[in-house]
Amino acid sequence: MQTRRAIASFLLLAALPVSLVIPARSQNTEQVTKTTLKVGDHAPDFTLLSDQWKTVKLSDFRGKKNVFLAVYVLAFTGG
Amino acid sequence: MDSPAANAAFAKQIDIKFPLLSDMNKKMLKDYGILKGYDVQSENYQWAQRANIVIDKDGIIQHIDFDESAINPNNALSVCTDLHKKQTSK
Repeated sequence: MQTRRAIASFLLLAALPVSLVIPARSQNTEQVTKTTLKVGDHAPDFTLLSDQWKTVKLSDFRGKKNVFLAVYVLAFTGG
Repeated sequence: MDSPAANAAFAKQIDIKFPLLSDMNKKMLKDYGILKGYDVQSENYQWAQRANIVIDKDGIIQHIDFDESAINPNNALSVCTDLHKKQTSK
């Protein structure tokens, strides 16, 4: 476990939909943006807000840590 | 989209030790191509596609899981472990 802590800065992006009722009733699903990223590509830099209201950039970890980015939908955070 | 305040409450509730991040303007989701739209009763709602992405120290993507395969983080975790082994054995 210690190794795991050392290897990756584990970032979780909790992206909860506006309403939890919607998914079961949705009619049409469309990909707003196409996923073109693949293994070996440069990851686009991002700036996200932490739960402490601080900005976190991917480039903050460049040369320092590997990053595990988990985009987690329906996290039931209540937000 | 969860606000930082909602994430802070959630992190405290389940004792999370890593940063919980919010993409309030959906910019990252668009840049990564993982924003989905849903039409419900003539309204369009947008939220993220589930994904696990491992990015190495040089900013190179080493692993991606989408949708159902991203529910289990073990594949991505083993990529992290291998990556760390490679980097520390250099």
